[in-house]
Amino acid sequence: MTVRGLWIISHEKGENVSIRFSRRFSTVEHRAKSLAGSSYVAVPEESTFLQLLLTELGLSDSGKNYVALRDDCLYRPRSPALELHVDGPGKGILWPVLTVSQGPLILACLPLVDVPPEPRPPLANLLSVSQGLTLLAGLQTFLLGSGSKPDSEGLVSRLAVLPSVLLQVCPLGTPLDVPLPGAPATPAVPISGTQKQPAWKTGLHRGRALVNVGLIETVRSMQYGNQSRQDLWDVYVTLSLPPNGSPLQDILVHPCVTSLDSSILTASSVDNYDGSAFSGPYKFPFSPPLEPFRLCSYTSQVPVPPILGSYQLKEEENQLRVSVTLKLHESVKNSFEYCNAHLPFFNRNQMGVVDMKMSSGQLEVSKEKNLLLWVLGQKFPKSREVTMEGKISFSGPAPGPLDPLCTDLTAYVKLNFKVPDMTLSGCCVDQHSVQVYSSAKPRIVTSRELQSKEYYIWNSTGTAPVSSGQMTM
Amino acid sequence: MAANWVERISAFSRTPSGFLSGTTAEAFLAELLRELRDDRATYSVKVLLLSPLCEHPTLLCCSDSVGEETALELMSVFAQCPPKSVQFRCHLLLALTSILICTKCAKSRSCASLDFLDVLLQIAQDTSDIHGDGSQRPVRATACDCLRELEACCPGLLSHRLELLAGLRQQETSRLHQAYTGLHALVLRNAVYQLTQETGAGPEHLKALLGGNVSAAWEADQESGLTNSKHSAILSSLILGPMGTVPTLHTGPDCKELRSLLSSLLDESYLLTPLCQAALLHRLTEVVAMVPGVPPAIFRTHLLRLLGTSEVCLLHATLLLKGAFTDSLFSSEDEAFILKRLVVLSQHPLLNTPEKLFYMDCILHFPENRPISCGDGDETLPVLLTPRLASALVPTLFNDGATLLARFNLLSLVYLEEGEEGEEGQGLAYLYEHLTSLLCIVENRGGREHVVTFFRAAFLFLYYFCHVERYSTALTKQLCQLYLHHIKLAPHLINLADQTQDRLSESNWSVGLLKALQRVITEAPLTQLTSQDLSQHLKMLARVAEEGDILQHSTLNFLSSIITPSSSSLCANGDWRLGNYILGVCRRLLIHPSLDSLLTPLADVLQLLVCHYGDMEIKDHARLYYTLLTTLSKEKLAGVLAQGVEEGRRQVKKQSLSCLMDEGLTSMLTIQQTEKAVFRLTEAPPEPRGGDVNPNEAEKGPDEASATVEAYRDQFSDSSFASEITLRYGLIHISAHDALFDQLFSIRLHFSLTDHHYEELGDISVPCLFRERPSPIVHLRLKPKQPYPTTLHASAIFTTPDGRTWHTTLPDIHVAFQQTFLPLSVPLSWGRGGTLRVFEGLWDEMCSESGDSAVSLFCCQLTEAALNTLVEKHFLPFLVSDLSLKEEFRVLFFLPPRSHILLRVSSEEDAVHFNIATDNWELLPYISSYLPTITSSQEDTLSSL
Repeated sequence: MTVRGLWIISHEKGENVSIRFSRRFSTVEHRAKSLAGSSYVAVPEESTFLQLLLTELGLSDSGKNYVALRDDCLYRPRSPALELHVDGPGKGILWPVLTVSQGPLILACLPLVDVPPEPRPPLANLLSVSQGLTLLAGLQTFLLGSGSKPDSEGLVSRLAVLPSVLLQVCPLGTPLDVPLPGAPATPAVPISGTQKQPAWKTGLHRGRALVNVGLIETVRSMQYGNQSRQDLWDVYVTLSLPPNGSPLQDILVHPCVTSLDSSILTASSVDNYDGSAFSGPYKFPFSPPLEPFRLCSYTSQVPVPPILGSYQLKEEENQLRVSVTLKLHESVKNSFEYCNAHLPFFNRNQMGVVDMKMSSGQLEVSKEKNLLLWVLGQKFPKSREVTMEGKISFSGPAPGPLDPLCTDLTAYVKLNFKVPDMTLSGCCVDQHSVQVYSSAKPRIVTSRELQSKEYYIWNSTGTAPVSSGQMTM
Repeated sequence: MAANWVERISAFSRTPSGFLSGTTAEAFLAELLRELRDDRATYSVKVLLLSPLCEHPTLLCCSDSVGEETALELMSVFAQCPPKSVQFRCHLLLALTSILICTKCAKSRSCASLDFLDVLLQIAQDTSDIHGDGSQRPVRATACDCLRELEACCPGLLSHRLELLAGLRQQETSRLHQAYTGLHALVLRNAVYQLTQETGAGPEHLKALLGGNVSAAWEADQESGLTNSKHSAILSSLILGPMGTVPTLHTGPDCKELRSLLSSLLDESYLLTPLCQAALLHRLTEVVAMVPGVPPAIFRTHLLRLLGTSEVCLLHATLLLKGAFTDSLFSSEDEAFILKRLVVLSQHPLLNTPEKLFYMDCILHFPENRPISCGDGDETLPVLLTPRLASALVPTLFNDGATLLARFNLLSLVYLEEGEEGEEGQGLAYLYEHLTSLLCIVENRGGREHVVTFFRAAFLFLYYFCHVERYSTALTKQLCQLYLHHIKLAPHLINLADQTQDRLSESNWSVGLLKALQRVITEAPLTQLTSQDLSQHLKMLARVAEEGDILQHSTLNFLSSIITPSSSSLCANGDWRLGNYILGVCRRLLIHPSLDSLLTPLADVLQLLVCHYGDMEIKDHARLYYTLLTTLSKEKLAGVLAQGVEEGRRQVKKQSLSCLMDEGLTSMLTIQQTEKAVFRLTEAPPEPRGGDVNPNEAEKGPDEASATVEAYRDQFSDSSFASEITLRYGLIHISAHDALFDQLFSIRLHFSLTDHHYEELGDISVPCLFRERPSPIVHLRLKPKQPYPTTLHASAIFTTPDGRTWHTTLPDIHVAFQQTFLPLSVPLSWGRGGTLRVFEGLWDEMCSESGDSAVSLFCCQLTEAALNTLVEKHFLPFLVSDLSLKEEFRVLFFLPPRSHILLRVSSEEDAVHFNIATDNWELLPYISSYLPTITSSQEDTLSSL
């Protein structure tokens, strides 16, 4: 349940690689040596480790077409646990090196194998592996923040405080906690009384008592406009409290939830839905940490997509005839925070003449990127249907962007939209149902929103990428 | 200064070995400790200074005794450190823990480690700040972590403190209870484990353990119970899945105390962070598994919460719980639910990719209640994973490479099972379609990553479904098309052919692929071939020519058409590289089984090369091949090459081929690497010395001591004077018997330094080494810059009777401090009187001068007889005074290039005194570790001042 070492590496697409931080845990290494006996492989020095890791990750020798060590077709489950082939005097295989990477950072750690090393145990037998993954993910969030763009100055300052952060979260190789993003926790004032304070609650809240419950549903969709191929959409949600709604599935909860009802957990998207599933209310008793957190997440299956689209392309001499129709479903509130459609064109020359007519919204044309951006704004018209038609000639002087997937007439419209104050599943949080057991009377705020992610409408006259979802069995 | 330390510490942690080669571990450690004691240094620098000790304690503390001393030193730093420097105090505790554990001081219960344990326990119990500002809490937390690490590395260390720890855990209400809980759980687990190893241990022992009344007798047992063989077993996790065995403690149903303790730990587990909660759960799982008297049902109330969690480590701990208790805790409905849950998690949009991949791995190693296979670590599908359920995990083109391959692998396993029965492989059809889409991406100039992913997916597909000819034939066809459009993929295709041939020995798919590739290459029009394409084609044809089952006529036609001067300009251009590729193909054809039928066309091709190729070297090679082909019979050719072929491995075959003729004569120098060390150097007894001292005491040297020293020093004006030490080693085989290496010739030994204290060494040649003959003596001439002990890396190149040349690595050679001693070098004519005068002169200088000289005293208890033996055994060559003058022995060690260590050894009433003087104070640590080793070997009683 410990790690032997930790490395943080920065790179720019495999170039300018450097180790920004590393820590070896000597006492764990000592244990590793006595546990592994003759099959012990020592952790090599930084530069060697880095080289081996990059080879395994396929980032070394980026100029070369084929490198045997890097590109061997023999399938070894590489991720999430890599093997490093250490050469030289202490040669052997260093395993399991866990890595997570995001943007310019690669984080790696080497969990201790605390079961007999021969024959090699499955990852599933080593608790240190999931602990290592949790630690790495926590460090990643701490260093880069969740999502958005990493800023290099912030990164430098956060790397600088890493030694004192590790003193708290992983002093001797045993991960105890993940670092809290943002300011380091101020030491909490001890609570008098006999009730124990949760270890994940960093202190006491000062200021107004406020419970803010946000419910965000995210919709994904693949629409083909083709009889033989089933359209797909599903919804997943980052939320707080969902009561009385349509059946919620695949519920995952934050560890601060104290107890769960078994009926909440049984609904699953991989089951045949038989209509008899539990449909709420969903109750989650919990003791909240101070920082914002994801109380629970669920998925749900809704009968229709919020926006049904059709996309048709026709090749005509030197131009392309384009026709797009989007229909907003009647159950969806016609009030967007934003709604855009992206129409990229790949593997063609740059656009020349663009002659498009649309029933609503504005069109932005980016000729270098071969991209049409159709800004639909806040509202669909009364008819709840918009169309765009026209022709594009690709007569530009230079070749446009390339993509190995979208060749010939394989093309898509990608929708980005956000609808405030609604959910597709109908799930909502009733303000009055939020019960707070506290002497302070907190204000309770709830909100809902629907947003899109990976919402694609494929050209129905071309071959859409074939394997893009569940098959019917 | 601070900045300098930042730089030096980071240089050290980047390459510790490189850094230490510029100094010595002893010196660096001394510097660190001095700076840590220095009041002027800031605490932030001091924290930094501790990091080498935390990360590489064994590099800096070369022996356990150094570790012990360093620990004592750091503990006094800790005692003097003001309480407000919390960070520094925490890091000090970590450094101390690291040093004591890694130098085995903790394991041997040394004084320092016992003192440190007391300090830690004191800190852990010191709750005086509970109503204060809590500023000391991090120190308390760190102390608990250090205690936990000590217990983890020395299991049982705290077993008799269980009651104390339970109390501490219960009374703590701040967040620190987490640290106490972790410690308590580990100590409990280790204590119970130890009880399982005691014969006859029962419920009353367990009760006593928990109550803290451990009888002295049991404690004594416990000490002996920690033998080495058991040591690593107790470190291991006990949960090995359904077939693992767990040691058990038979208590009967009556273990109320343990049960209530476990329940209280479990009930508070919710208050811990997910990481600590998972660790606690695992520890408790182990305890319950070891004590059958406690029913696993005590976990039941927590299961729902754990199964609903979004935390990977908590769910993982629950899976391990399932592995340990199977159907005594989980019903078959539970099992189905957990599996479904894993499938959901393997594709949950909110989880990150490594977590999803981990869950997929968990599916393939699912702890089933009733496993069919014996869980030997192979991937197997759980029975409950139906194709319907698995269809949630079908690979898609939008997956990243790793996810795609993991899903492809999983689904292949699913469809492999399904294939036997029912619907004729709808799933298989899907997988093949998916493979085709990947191929399309590669076809449309997908990036390198796409290419690699495609070939790995193709390998997987073949690995599972090679027998389904419909698909494997179609794949061959598609790969050939792909190759024609993207000739640069040749190495990937060769790799695929190699790997499928290795892994699927019963299938001849790869021969089929190579045959098809041969056809497309030889039938395609030559007109638009670039020389790059051509070289890929030739590589491919060379690989094809390795297959005895493939007819090679079309290859030869192709070769002759590309080199015929009338149809191509290749010959005229005389590209050396292309020429070699052509020869590569010819070389393989020379040993092709169907050589008889190829004789004429092959000879023609070679003749064409000889006559028309534009490069001289290629012509020469071609002529050699031509001669071999026309003069040697097929049997002889095969006979020469049989060795490699018999061993059957392509690698070896290539090597022995290359030995014969790869690049002409230079190929004889192809060097192979031995798998293990073949021989080593061991210290040989010294040569018998001639008369040390001029027997007639005629004294011709200067009379007065200082003048004698002067004259002695004058000798050093010749820089080569007494600058070398010669060490004698015997070269001997390492025992493992390997007939191949019984007789070795032309051995050339190469040495490389691991530090900067010596001049580079020259290579040494040894004509031969036979296993049955006496070992040859090798003289190592070392020229010190500083006379410190060192380690040399050694390697050797040698030849075996079969003509092959080998490279091997020898075990490292350790040069001890005493091996760098030389006797005093003075002209023979000076006699004993002269050397005595040098001794006196030097002694006076060292005692008076400051500079680099230093004096010291070492005392120990030795009988007179023991002292005499010691002097005769270790000091005789360096003795300046007469051996018969027993009241005081004078010993002079000269250490090239310019250092001396002088000893006056005398028996005083209480002890033997070794008065030490040296003109190089940096040698003191070495002499003070050398003297105890030689004296303690004489007499066990020892005390040093």
